[in-house]
This record gives sequence, structure tokens and C-alpha cells, in this order.
Amino acid sequence: MRRHPLALAGGVLLVLIAGFCFLGPLVYPTNQTDVDLVNAALPPGPGFPLGTDTNGFDVLGRLMAGGQVSLQIGLLAALFATTIGTIYGAVAGLAGGVVDAFLMRLVDVMLSIPFLFFVLILSARFHANAVTLALVIGCFSWLLSARLVRGEVLTLRVREFVLAAKVMGASRSRVILTHLIPNALGVIIVNVTFQVADAILVVSALGFLGFGLTYPAADWGSQLASGVTYISADYWWLVYPVGGCIILTVLALNLLADALRDAIGRPTSVRS
Amino acid sequence: MSNVSLELGRGETLGIVGETGSGKSMTGLAIMGMLPAGGRVTGGTIDFTGRDLLAMNPRHYRGNDIAMIFQDSLTSLNPTKKIVEQVAEPVRLHRAASRRAARERAEQMLTQVGIKRDGYPHQLSGGQRQRVMIAMALVCEPEIVIADEPTTALDVTIQAEILDLLDELRSARGMSMILITHDMGVISQRADRVGVMYGGRVAESAPTATLFGHTRHRYTRALLSSIPTLAHDRHEALFSIPGSPPDLTRPEPGCPFAPRCEAATDRCRQEQPPFTGTYACWHPAGGPARTVTRERIARGKSGDTLLKVDGLVREHPAGRRTVKAVSGVSFEVAAGETFGLVGESGCGKSSLGRMLVGLDRADSGEILFEGEKVTRPRPAVQMMFQDSGAALDPRMRIGRILREPLVIQGIGDRDERVRRLLGDVGLPEGVLDRYPYELSGGQRQRVGLARALALDPKVLIADEPVSALDVSIRSQVLNLMRRIQLERGLSSVVISHDLAVVRYLADRVGVMYLGKLVESGTTDEVYGSTAHPYTAGLLAAVPEGEKSGTRVRGELPSSIDPPSGCRFRTRCALATETCARVEPPMTSLGGTHRVACHYPLQGGRNG
Amino acid sequence: MARYVLRRLVVSAFVLLGISAAVFFMLHLVSESPGRVVLGQRASPEAVAAFNREHGFDRSVITQYLAYLGQLLRLDLGRSYKLNEDVATLLAQYAGRSAMLSLAGLVVALAVAIPLGILQAVRRNSLVDRATTAVSYVLYATPSFLLGLLLIAIFSQALGLFPAEASQSHSPWVVFTDPWAMALPVTTLAAGSITVFAQYQRSSALDQLGQDYIRVARAKGLPERLILLRHLLRNACLPLITLVGTLVPTLLAGNLIVESLFNYPGLGLLFLNSLHREDYPVLLAYTLIGGVLTVAGNFVADLLVAAADRRIELRK
Repeated sequence: MRRHPLALAGGVLLVLIAGFCFLGPLVYPTNQTDVDLVNAALPPGPGFPLGTDTNGFDVLGRLMAGGQVSLQIGLLAALFATTIGTIYGAVAGLAGGVVDAFLMRLVDVMLSIPFLFFVLILSARFHANAVTLALVIGCFSWLLSARLVRGEVLTLRVREFVLAAKVMGASRSRVILTHLIPNALGVIIVNVTFQVADAILVVSALGFLGFGLTYPAADWGSQLASGVTYISADYWWLVYPVGGCIILTVLALNLLADALRDAIGRPTSVRS
Repeated sequence: MSNVSLELGRGETLGIVGETGSGKSMTGLAIMGMLPAGGRVTGGTIDFTGRDLLAMNPRHYRGNDIAMIFQDSLTSLNPTKKIVEQVAEPVRLHRAASRRAARERAEQMLTQVGIKRDGYPHQLSGGQRQRVMIAMALVCEPEIVIADEPTTALDVTIQAEILDLLDELRSARGMSMILITHDMGVISQRADRVGVMYGGRVAESAPTATLFGHTRHRYTRALLSSIPTLAHDRHEALFSIPGSPPDLTRPEPGCPFAPRCEAATDRCRQEQPPFTGTYACWHPAGGPARTVTRERIARGKSGDTLLKVDGLVREHPAGRRTVKAVSGVSFEVAAGETFGLVGESGCGKSSLGRMLVGLDRADSGEILFEGEKVTRPRPAVQMMFQDSGAALDPRMRIGRILREPLVIQGIGDRDERVRRLLGDVGLPEGVLDRYPYELSGGQRQRVGLARALALDPKVLIADEPVSALDVSIRSQVLNLMRRIQLERGLSSVVISHDLAVVRYLADRVGVMYLGKLVESGTTDEVYGSTAHPYTAGLLAAVPEGEKSGTRVRGELPSSIDPPSGCRFRTRCALATETCARVEPPMTSLGGTHRVACHYPLQGGRNG
Repeated sequence: MARYVLRRLVVSAFVLLGISAAVFFMLHLVSESPGRVVLGQRASPEAVAAFNREHGFDRSVITQYLAYLGQLLRLDLGRSYKLNEDVATLLAQYAGRSAMLSLAGLVVALAVAIPLGILQAVRRNSLVDRATTAVSYVLYATPSFLLGLLLIAIFSQALGLFPAEASQSHSPWVVFTDPWAMALPVTTLAAGSITVFAQYQRSSALDQLGQDYIRVARAKGLPERLILLRHLLRNACLPLITLVGTLVPTLLAGNLIVESLFNYPGLGLLFLNSLHREDYPVLLAYTLIGGVLTVAGNFVADLLVAAADRRIELRK
């Protein structure tokens, strides 16, 4: 970590953001359930450090609440996608031969499906909550994880240290548990990190297109989406703070993931 | 790198020899003005026919007056351009020739190096790529060509051809050459003068005959004594240089070789010896060029047959076709015996090794260990890998790596056993808490050996055990393997492309070519009264070997579609029609010496 | 080669068959009774049933799907529920403009990203490289609609340089005929891709710079500029071709957002409006076209890479 200032920056930023979202409400409790039209669309000022939105919700408090939802969706989607992708990719890579060819051809086919259209059609009909949204996003992002993990397994499988373990008489499960998984873990963790970031972006895009979470639940994406409809009304405080939150979070996640990737990509360079 | 002074006369070949990190490649790159980013020449001059190269724009002489040839690799040529265009490029650049004229010149040059057809680089073999590289370097008729490890990645038979070609072209054009290599054999054959580099300095520089006959620097002398050669007395142990080459990022005062030198004194450790013009050493050696160890090698007594390989065949798919990696190989290894398997890349020796330890299954034929069929790995047959850097799990500490075989086999008393193993291979206990990347190459190879020994195997399979190591470290590992084998009464199969290494270690030898065993016998039989033309060609191709034998010509045929009859016939000077029709069987020449050839070079019957 | 193309075409046909089945059944799940959608909430159940019977919507899903496939073979994409027009005619009206927008965005993105990525690789770890990387990171983290809004806020509202709405012209050549109105949409669309492309190009160029043939070219005496142009450029662009091929769905999604943001009458906007109107034949057709484009993108990319790099043999 010390050798990767950007990873450190990303990590610290992420901790701060998570702290803001999850611990913030304890320090700065706000009412996020009752509409208060008297105090609607107030610019930042005393009592409302970041103003209020068109329903009269305090924007600062709403950022915290929305952040919780966004981070949870992102993490859930990423874990879901990575779990499926890892298992699928590992099975393909370990089985090899016909099984591998079949499974990967299937992934190729599924990658040709324009999933956003599917998601849009589905969410037009069924109202999404945070969990279903996460699952839907997870459903179309596990494919790349599967490819990645399979590639990693294929290279690890023929590495000499794995062969050495086999010569010593190691069982298949032992090889997988003590050599393959620890060595592939880095790649998988990096992948989760990237996917959290991407999921947050996808949710915000869905929100903008009008198919995000429905009121009163509000993640950052739908907050931003509803904010931008008022941008011409100069309600800037409904756009920039939440936009900044999304950018900072995704940025922090990507910095962290990139630095982690650098770190695991060259295990031998830790020297000196 | 500091204070390097060397001289090259017109029409002369200057050899620069040294190990990884000795600064030999940097010297070549400095002349070309191509030091890697962050590197620069901080002092001194490079004088070329009266002009100081350092004061010139290197682009004006690069590829024109001075050209460079690098080690062959898959990427040494641009993969998306045809070779004629790539060879023509310097002509267009330096001669301002038209596209057409440049192409003609390039084609002419390619014919001279033996390449007849245009094509993309991936269609060429390693040897052919290197010919293209030579054509590219010489196409503008430079006055000096710098060849940096030009043949290191190639097989011995191809290496000899490439070096011959370079020599021929050099003398025909009165060109000068700087030959940079780690291979003392190549230097002794090809160079007029030699500069020996160590730790970023020139240790010694002299005409070749003087250097090899009257070695002065302690490093040169120690190195020459530690390299196994074909002329070496097999019954005398090689000299081992302790330690490993210096880390140039942490310069120390004094002679860079001092920590590893027998004759080092306090002065050596504190004061940098000046370069006298021939050597830089406080206590130069006199007398014979080699340190004679006078340690006689005790060879183990061979017992009953332990490992029996019978008619082994292994084929694996490559796309739609099948690579015939091993096609019917039979041999036996007795208890306490070392069997050496020699052959060039692609001959199937590594596939064979994998089957011996049970990593792969034979398609037909069988391997019997103590009369039992080997189908999967077993503790009694263990393997030592070529590159321990790759064979040790990067996420495990050495302690865990060494305990792993014991854990797998459920053997108790692990800490005590691991400590004993470390002692056996001469490593301090401190390494137990280190990760593989924190160890030097020699140390890693010792760990690899220790791990292979952890299960008390009866047979050790060693695949290229020293090929990945620096020259000055190899004899340490070779001697260690030899000692341990004797102490434990271990049998072993040593697989290597290096004829001298096999000759040093093995009691009996098998020579492989394209998946077949072509000759086998005791080491003295195979090396002393060579019967197969391929074996003879291999020996003749070894740089320090005799130049009299018939060379092996041409390229290795594909193992997907091997030649009919005798597989070697396409490259054999003695081949007749019979060789194309009838596959020669393994026949005995008396004793244990067997050969598969219709026209063996030694006595025996004709098939 | 010909066999490879044939094989790929057959595989593609199966993929598209799969996609069409998936979309069809999903839409069936979402909306069982087109009669209700077409005739509205007030229509009597009898009228709805009669409508469904008349148009064959009362048959089993399988039969309906097979009938739909039959239509597709005659290049008949069905009829819009709401716009009283053939879906094919409808799509054809909008397709040209969407294609222009996509192509313009792609061309701009590549034109910026390729030289930028190579520059970053050549000047690795310089100020230029670090600054570009930093900007890329921030741009990548910015939702594209937010970026578009910022562009509107700055260049349209504050500076008044460009209009906030895209060209409404019906000509497909909008990018050329009305460049001012198209500047912001194309920039927004390109910006999203540039960050991805440039970082990809940078790492690909870095890979190539480390290859031995670059060193050999230097030893020939070639000036750096020629090394980049003659040797590095083509090899470094190969991975990018594959990337663009696989990114077609992402590019289409970009179109959706940009068209919606700038109110640009293209296929994306048509899709979104149809989504609100529950105009399922249009949704079905556009999703299928998206599938065709994706499959074609991968295919063309593979062919291009194989043509540029002879090491790749087209078999399998």
C-alpha cells in the first residue's frame, strides 16, 4: 500500500464515503420519509446546508440515505456477478476440453445480447427495488468475470508450481484450495472492485432513463436523474452534490482496483 | 557499469563475455546510443575511426556504420510486416534508395543468408528469424556489427550454423564484430580478443589464446574451472564458485568478485583494483588456466533395474493435427544410476519427463517402477523443475513450500525434516520465512531440489536443472546434485539440451531426436565412440567441441508430420533411400551401446 | 477463410435465433394481451378478446413465435401498436440519423484516443501522461448524462456557443448539415468512449514498445517518429479493433442516453418512447437489431484483426 499512493488515496476516499453514508445519519439525522412542501426546493442556507429537494427533503441527509442504497446495490451486484462468474469460469477452466468449449461459447452468445434493452423492458413493467435491481445488473455483468477467471485458471493450471504439487501427490481439491484460489484471488478481488463501480454507473444511467428505483426509495442515480430535470430552473444543489458523490465513489473504486491490479500483476517486483 | 575500456581492430572479432548483469549488453547498447530510459554515459569516449560516437547523433551511424543483432525472440521482427520490407527498411533510410531498389537489395541480402522466400515472421523458425536479423543488420554493409547473444535462444546445431554464417559474412566483407555472450565456448571459438566483464567492469582483456592459456583474473580462472566441458575429466569434480554475482544497485567498495574469491584479502574488499590493460586484480593468477579440484568423483554402484520404460508413446492434439511428441522410447534406469536424456528442443524429452513422474499418461507403452506400472504421481519418483522461480508458489514462504510435500503425504515431524533438508542443500534457516522472489536463482534451485527430496524419493527426474541459472552458479548446483545423489543412493534421470552437463552427471546416456531414442549407452560409449550421425553432429556443434565431425544441417522437421523411415534422414549426410523406407531398429553395438541407424559410425552390423 | 466466414455466419444465425426467442418470450411475459395495450384500458374484455383472436394473439406462445419468425424471414418486423405504421418503415426513418450519430461519435473517439494513448505510452509517467490519465479517471467516473448536462450548462447556457438540443432535421446527414447542433451530442457520446479507448490504447502501445522489434527498428537508425508510424501504430491498434467490436452494446446504450438527453430523433429515442407507450413490436424489433449489430460487430472486428495480423489463422 505504501508503494501505491493512488491505492491509498482511493482506499481512504472510499472509507470516508462509506462513513459519510452509513455513520453520517447518526451525527446528522434528517427526516427522509415525510414530504414537506413548505420547505421544498430551498437553496442551501441555515438549517439546510445543501438545501432541500422539490419534495422538501434535506439534500445532505438524502445524499447519505441515497449513498447507502447505491453502495449496497453496487456491492450486491458485484458480489453476485463475481460469485457466479468465478464459479462458472473456474468450472470451465478446470474441466477443459469440450465442457470448456461449450461453456465459453455460451458466454460468447450471451455477450451478444444487448442487455440494457432487456433490463429496460423488464423494469418498465416490474418496479424494481434495490435487491432486484442489483440482481438484474449482476445477471448481465457476470459474463466478463467468467471469462477473466477462466483465463486465470487456465494459466495457473499449467504453471510449474501447480505441476510440482501434483507430482508430490496433491489431490485435485488440494491444488485448487492451496494454489489456484490464493493465486487467482487477486484477480477476483480487483474484478469485484471494478464491478461495484460499474454497477453504480449503470444504476444511475437507468435512473436517468426513468427506470431506476421508484419513489420514495432513492439511490444517487435516481436523485441525480430527478435533479437534472430541474437544471434549467437553476436548482444546482440538486445536481452537483449528488453528481460529485457518484464521481468520487466510482473514481475511488477504480483507483483502488487499478492499483490492486498493478500490485498483483507483478508479484516479483516487490523486491527492494 | 563503470570504467569499461575495450578496443576493436578492423576485421577483428572482439568477444565480450559475462553473466547476467555484468554490463556486457549495456556496453553494446552504449555504443549504439541505445541505453534504456534513465541510463546514460556519464564519462569517457567511444572512438570510431577517429570520431567520437558520443558526440554524434546515433541515428546517423546506427544500422549504417554500426549495426546490431539481438538475441532471437518471437518478437524480434515486426509481426505484421513481411520480411523483405523489414530488411529493405535500412537501405531506404540510409541509402535513400527507391522502394524498388531497396527491395532488390534486401532480397539479394536474404539470399546470402539462406532465406529464399518472402513471408511473415511467424512463418519462420527461430534459426530463420535470426538469419533475417543478420540480413537486416548487414544490408547496409556496416563496418562494425554488434551481436548480442545472437544464438543463445537457439539449439546447438542451429547455433553453429548461425555463427558460421556470421563468420563467413564478416571475413568476406572485412567487417569487425563485437560478439557479446555468456558462453565461454562460443567466445573461445569465434573471438580474436576477449573482454571478460564482471560486476559492471572489465575484469580481464586479452587475445583469446592468451586469455584461455594464461588466465590472470581470479574470476575468469574460477569461471573456466567451473564450466563443464566435453574435454573435462569426468572423474574430477568441477570447481564451485560460492555465492552469486553482485547486485549492481548496491555497489560496494573493492573488487566486485572479492566476496566470492578464494584469494581475496582485505585489500580486495576495500580497494578497487585498477585495470592494468589486461586485468584488474590485486592477486592475479599465474600458472594453469584452471583450478584443479583434485576431488575424484565417486560414482554410485548401479544395482537392479528400478525404472523401466518400454515402448512409450505420447501424442497430443494441436488444433486439428496431432503432435507426435514421444514415439516409442524404451530404456532402463538401475538403482543408484544417473541416466541422461539429451536432445534439442522439440525432441520430446520434456514430455517424456512428465510421463516418468506420472503427470501425463502414455498413449501406449508403459513405465514400470519396481515392476509396478506408473500411472499417477508417487512419492518415490519426484521431479526437479527447470525454473524454480516458476515452480515455487509465489504466495507461499519457503518454509511452507518445503513442508507442503510432507503435509500432502501426511508425514510428521515436519519442522525437523525441513531443517535437515535445508542443511542438505546448504541453505541457512533464515530462508524459511522468505518468499521465493526474495531468493537468488541459485538459492531457489536449491529449494526446488530440497522439496523434491522431501519425500525421500528413489528416483529424481531433473528437467534442465541448471539451464535457467547464471554460468558461475551452475557448478554449485551440479555438484550439490551429484553429492546428494551419492549420499542417498538415489537414481536420477537428467534431462538436458546441454551435452556437457549430461556428460558430467550421467552414468548412462540416451540421445533423443523427434520423439525417438537414436542412441544409448554408457557415457563413455556415447561420447567416446559415437555411433549415430545425429549424436556426432550434436557433439560437433558444441562450440568448444571438435570441428571435424559432420555438422547437422537444416531445420528440424515438424513433429506433426515426421519424416518416414529414419526421422533424422532429412538432415543426415549419410542418408540413402533405405533410410527413407525402413525405420532403423535399435541394435546393439556390443556392451550396452545401442544405436538406431542403418549406417552407424562405429562398427556394428548394418540394418 | 471462406469456410470460416460461412461457419461464423451459421453460428451467428443461431445466436440471433436465441436472442429473438429470448426477447419474444420475455415480451410475452410482460404483455400477454396486445389487445389491451392497443385498445386501451376502457375497451371491453370482449373487444380485447376479439382483437387478440383476430390477430392470432390467442394462440400458444410457440405458435406465435414461429409465426413471427416466418414474418422475419420476409423482412416483416410487424406493425406498431400505437403509430399505425410498419415497424420496418418506422425504424428505417430513424436508423440513418442514429447511425450517423454513432459513427461520428466513434470516429471522434478513435481519432482522439489512438494518438492520445500512443502519446501517453511514449511519454510514460510524464506530466502529460499523468494528467491525461487523471482526466480519464474522472471522465470515466462521470455518468454520461451528467457529462452531457455539464456540457449543456457550460457551452450552451453559460457561453451560448452551441444549442442545447440536437438537430431535429430529418436528413441522415445531420452531422454535416447541422454541425453546430450536433457538436454537443457527438462530444458527449465520444467522451465516454475516449476514456476507455485511450487507456486501452496506452497499455497496448506500452506492450508493443517493450517488444524486441521496436529495439531492432531503433538499431536500424529509424527516427522515433517513423518507428511509431511504421512499426508501432498498426500493432498497437489491433487490440483496439477487437475492443470496439465487443463494445457495440455499450455504444448503443450510449446512443440511448445521448438521444434522450439532447432530444435527438433516432432509434434510441424511438425505443424509449415506445417503452413508455408499451409499443412492443417496436421494442422487439430494435432489440433484435441491437443483437444483429453486436454479432456483426464482433464478426467484422475478428475479420479485420485477422486481415491485419497474419499470425491469426481463421479456423475453428
